[in-house]
Amino acid sequence: MKANKSGLTSNQTLGKIFIIPLVAFLLVFMIYPVVYNVFLSFTDARLLKKDFNFVGLKNYKNIFSNPKFYQYAKNTLIWTITSVIGQLVIGLGVALLINKKYAGTGLRSFLLIPYVVPAVVIALVTKWITNGDYGIISCGLQNLGLLQHCQSPLAVPGSSMAILVIVNIWRSFPFPMLIYWATLKGINKEMYEAASVDGANAVQSFFRITVPHLKDTTIVLVVLRIVWTATYFDLPWLITGGGPAGTTTHLPIMIYQASFGTFQTGLASSISIVLGFCLFIFIVFYVRKSLSDEG
Amino acid sequence: MKKGIFILLLILVMGSLVFAGGKGEKAVDASATEKIIIWTNLTADAQAKVLNKQFTEVAAEMGVEVEMVTISFNDMYTKLATAVESGNVPDIMHTNFAGSAYLQSQGIIIDMDDVIDGIGRDDFISSYLHVLNADGKTWGVPDWALHTSVWYRKDLFKQYNIEIPQNWAEFEAVAKKLTLDTNRDGKVDIYGFPVPMHAVQVAPQTYYEFLYSAGVTTFDPKTGEYSFGKQKREAKEVMDYMINLYKTTSPPAAIEWSWNEYRNALVEGTVAMTLDMGAVIGLAQSNNPEMVEKLGCFDLPGRYGVKPASFGSGYAFVVSKQGSDKKQAIKKEFVSRLYTSERAAERALSRPMFAFPSLYSALEIYKLSPLVALFQEQIATITDAFENNNWYWYGMENGLSQMSSQIEATTFFGEALQSVALGRETSEKAVDYIDRQLQEQLLLIE
Repeated sequence: MKANKSGLTSNQTLGKIFIIPLVAFLLVFMIYPVVYNVFLSFTDARLLKKDFNFVGLKNYKNIFSNPKFYQYAKNTLIWTITSVIGQLVIGLGVALLINKKYAGTGLRSFLLIPYVVPAVVIALVTKWITNGDYGIISCGLQNLGLLQHCQSPLAVPGSSMAILVIVNIWRSFPFPMLIYWATLKGINKEMYEAASVDGANAVQSFFRITVPHLKDTTIVLVVLRIVWTATYFDLPWLITGGGPAGTTTHLPIMIYQASFGTFQTGLASSISIVLGFCLFIFIVFYVRKSLSDEG
Repeated sequence: MKKGIFILLLILVMGSLVFAGGKGEKAVDASATEKIIIWTNLTADAQAKVLNKQFTEVAAEMGVEVEMVTISFNDMYTKLATAVESGNVPDIMHTNFAGSAYLQSQGIIIDMDDVIDGIGRDDFISSYLHVLNADGKTWGVPDWALHTSVWYRKDLFKQYNIEIPQNWAEFEAVAKKLTLDTNRDGKVDIYGFPVPMHAVQVAPQTYYEFLYSAGVTTFDPKTGEYSFGKQKREAKEVMDYMINLYKTTSPPAAIEWSWNEYRNALVEGTVAMTLDMGAVIGLAQSNNPEMVEKLGCFDLPGRYGVKPASFGSGYAFVVSKQGSDKKQAIKKEFVSRLYTSERAAERALSRPMFAFPSLYSALEIYKLSPLVALFQEQIATITDAFENNNWYWYGMENGLSQMSSQIEATTFFGEALQSVALGRETSEKAVDYIDRQLQEQLLLIE
């Protein structure tokens, strides 16, 4: 192929032209918003006001000098870690189940339902079943003596977060289930047969064959689910509004309140930068550690 | 050939980018017909239908085009931000008093005194106009308002020979007397009075009803100075009273109760009284019709009898600054035409709770409607409170204030109250926390 003056063939030039839309898309919808968000975090920008001033690190100082921030960060950590562990464990368990011959397409489709139910519906049903007067969960717990008469688990610190996490696990497990199931389908059956011939039982086969094959998938899932869960706003806001007493308020709720409560876009941007930075650090550390263990 | 393909691709890419990222500013309409865009935060079917019908009628009368856009209140600020950025602010907005306050503080809307004078200032209930007042001007035309009252079980009051309480001590005694174990199984079957404290809006609404009835305000109603900080002792006493009610007469789950929960509880008969703006009647009509005739209402008494003020809010029409003088005149005329007595009454009646029109003449029509014929007693009670007492929406004691929308959209009141109810915080510290938060908001507003 003949090269032009810049040393590129016509195909290479055409290839570069074809990636222009993608690059433009990334610039407009990914790079620009992130850069602008970083910029806003150093300003006193407010919603609906066009003028704003550069305030340096003031927003960051405000965040770190606010004792509530640490409480909300701790809530975010609890919410994220417990939700992700639950999603992955249940997702894997159900994936192993539907990988069996007797699991048909109907069952697999049925198990996807939680993932497609709108958050607002889940929130309403959760509030209904945990209502202190007539909610099936609340009444059950009250009858067992685990909850005060006419009390709701959503009104008790600790149990309100537990309910949120359980609901979130229920809603989100189909995603890891699907990914794990796809990975399980790719494991060569002959490996299990060979292990069986060598006398390995089911547990040994699971830990020696299945688990190592799922490692890369798990790394990806952990990263994705952590990012999605740590930034997930709908369910906690709709179910508890961050209560009782701020025990389920996490950083996305804090960002929402800064944006649309006090209209401090600059402050909201800085909280989102802090959250994003923490996630980034965690993910880099986690992926590097996982890959080095593998190496 | 290759050069041609290159240029063609470049044009396509640039063209798609322009279309995707363009500001979308509308071309100037060359035709003579003006188009008016109206945003309303009322998204319920019955209300939206009546609004749409009236807007269409007025547009036909004036020979203009109209487009009504329903936007839930939660989405309003984001959509408005986008509209401001693109220079496409709606011409007229139908929003609540807090939304009006925010729009006024941002300099987006114009004052409506001339429109109000044109309709007839004397026909407006004066307290409605007071709420929309700032800097000596009225920034919206009030449409209707809601008033918080105590809705109660008349049958239980009669059964236990209870009179309407006249002060807080009596109110507490009634609430305790009506906390009943009817089947004697050692468990409460009917709670006297729930204290709902859901962090989003409900907690501050409950607290402010008690604060106002004890004379505590965010701002001095006369001078507009920040006054909560000077009344912290009283605010603490109010909080102690509320929390005591919660502990003795309220279901424990009420700490996370929102509107639906406490309304349902009254309609289903598990509480004997509750604060509400009248939606319990609509709920009873649809869910438990037998309860309708058992429900009555009275104004929450003042702490020592005389009540300084109570809690209420409503909706207004506001007009944006955007557009030529001619367009402003059209917009104002449009709003003005919406204020025939019949139209004002029809809008208030489309609300599934007791929404009282802002015009006296409309109120007379409202009272005669078969929709509220059964509730003349309740209407008389609420009308009296509207006409003869002070009532405010939180933070708007001295007229429009952006503080109102900041209280509405944040949860610090809820967090503080819930913390005290759960014994995690003292009421003194909780009031200090609220005071600090309010002062921070004040700095932001200023």
